[in-house]
Amino acid sequence: MATQQFLSSFKYSDSLTVVAISFCTAIVCEAISWLLIYRTNSYKSLKSSIDRAAKKLETMKTDQNPNKLSTKKSKTKKIDRVETSLKESSRDLSLFKFKSGAVVALVLIVVFGFLNSLFEGKVVAKLPFKPIGIVMKMSHRGLKGEDATDCSMVFLYFLCSISIRTNLQKFLGFSPPRGAAGAGLFPMPDPKTN
Amino acid sequence: MKEAKPGKLNVHQQHENGHFSPFKFAKLLDPEASWDKDQLGDILHWIRQVVALFCGLLWGAIPVAGGIWIFIFLAISTGIIYGYYAMILKIDEEEFGGHAALLQEGLFASITVFLLAWILVYSLAHF
Repeated sequence: MATQQFLSSFKYSDSLTVVAISFCTAIVCEAISWLLIYRTNSYKSLKSSIDRAAKKLETMKTDQNPNKLSTKKSKTKKIDRVETSLKESSRDLSLFKFKSGAVVALVLIVVFGFLNSLFEGKVVAKLPFKPIGIVMKMSHRGLKGEDATDCSMVFLYFLCSISIRTNLQKFLGFSPPRGAAGAGLFPMPDPKTN
Repeated sequence: MKEAKPGKLNVHQQHENGHFSPFKFAKLLDPEASWDKDQLGDILHWIRQVVALFCGLLWGAIPVAGGIWIFIFLAISTGIIYGYYAMILKIDEEEFGGHAALLQEGLFASITVFLLAWILVYSLAHF
């Protein structure tokens, strides 16, 4: 009771509710993912074959002898074969996770709908900067008034989702293998479990 | 001439579910230690997250306002990562995919962690 009173004394205490719900959702989603994806033998074998192929490819690319032409040709062919195998394994992994990820996607949609019904039209936080472009559209979604620093639930939930889920996946070891296709400048939490 | 340290793959260090195998804390500051690509990537990821959390909490507590502080955070975070792998670990970045590969480890997640911490502390502490 004292905690509730203390929390409600903050003008933007709704932001803590959004963070808490996002955190719980992230744990539930990872638990579902573990149940449907990560503990299965198919996933483990695909992941280890991707890791093996990626390491093999790296070794072959750095271990080329430029002097022997015939060796170089056969090395290039081997590299192509390993790269093809890596791409196929990555694709199989994506397909496998996609099927099971539908359940997690449903959970996320339900939670988002719930949060939307709770906080639609409400300012849940104050931004310490003026957003622009698409960030502005997201942060000011559904809010009245012209104050660009008012923050809606959507933007806060987006930040919570990415930050909490990415780090939770990393911590639990559920991040996609580095050798798999798709890891770029902005690696998102594993999209097939979204 | 740059002193290159071979970043040989350490096959004896196994990954179990992506976690590190046990290693001494001293390895984090040891320029003679050999690094697995995944291990180094993980270390750089977590350093970024810690820096992001610290900056977000600090920016929110002071408080500072304005988009410029996002770029200041990016500069500090990138500088720390670069300083760590280039000057403390003395890594040869070519062995690990180049500067871009190392600098982008955990970048996007750290930006969201930073923004979240900054926005929360700013909103809760100053209104």
